[in-house]
Amino acid sequence: MAMLKTILGNLLRPPRTRDPADMPEVPPVYRGALAHDAARCTACGTCAFVCAPKAITFTQEPGVSVSWHFFIGQCSFCGLCAQNCPTRAISLQADAPGATNSAAGDGLRLESVIRLQPCTRCGAAHVPLPDATIEALWGVEEAERGYCPECRRRAASEKLRAAFVPAEEAHHDR
Amino acid sequence: MNLIERVIAISRRRSPWICRLNAGSCNGCDIEITPLLSPRYDAEQLGVELHGTPKHADIVLISGTLTLRSREAILDIYAQVPNPKAVVALGSCPASGNVFAGSPLVLSESLDSVVPVDVWVPGCPPRPQAILDGIARAAKLLEDGATKSQLESRRGRLS
Repeated sequence: MAMLKTILGNLLRPPRTRDPADMPEVPPVYRGALAHDAARCTACGTCAFVCAPKAITFTQEPGVSVSWHFFIGQCSFCGLCAQNCPTRAISLQADAPGATNSAAGDGLRLESVIRLQPCTRCGAAHVPLPDATIEALWGVEEAERGYCPECRRRAASEKLRAAFVPAEEAHHDR
Repeated sequence: MNLIERVIAISRRRSPWICRLNAGSCNGCDIEITPLLSPRYDAEQLGVELHGTPKHADIVLISGTLTLRSREAILDIYAQVPNPKAVVALGSCPASGNVFAGSPLVLSESLDSVVPVDVWVPGCPPRPQAILDGIARAAKLLEDGATKSQLESRRGRLS
């Protein structure tokens, strides 16, 4: 009797088979292809370091730009790069990558270019830090926004010295 | 192209038979083929049928890291598939070796350097729909006569 009920119930229900085009929605934490935000990237290289299959690499054009490269054919979608990115420049998208006809192009390889900027004090080309990182690490002084790491360290140590040693004494020392 | 050739070409797209070849895979990609043949994803709605022998297949699904020992097996099985044939590479491993690249027993090169690959399905492992999409693409290539082996044999006939 129970079996008859199941059979009759199934006769009225639509089939469970999905169309090839009818993709089920992926869970929000699904680890799909990578997306890279060049404006947030500091080119620290952490993602390339933690990537076990070495799918992420950096190349640089001295004085002009640093490029972030990603080859999906080498990725195992473990998500370590996104987890370890200090500025959250890398995110894993929820959509699965589709099939492609060639391994060379067709979105299998991503490149994201980070342009270098000249330092506002000494002019040396450097990777600009995102605003949130600058505020967290170096305070919010407007004048030091465009400094290169070297000048930023210098400005910070000058501030430190000024805080410990009064101005006249410092003058006397010299 | 006359009518009979056209009918044959269409039937190649409508019933591609596949053969699975594990070239040293961790079995992740092969496990994803199983739900593909279940009623849920149902590859047979596209006419796909899994066969154990390469002699009955149109499309070979190759999964896994290529090893020194599996290289010969891939060439052997590829040679047994009757023309016209298509090759679908599943997952990241055939493209690069993935995490196993650099191991002394692993060919750290693309499957393309062993046999001509027509469709790459990225993922580790790819989802069943992505594999189905890859098979559908390969079947479309077979219909158009645009798989690498078909192009190769046409070039051979012309010269």
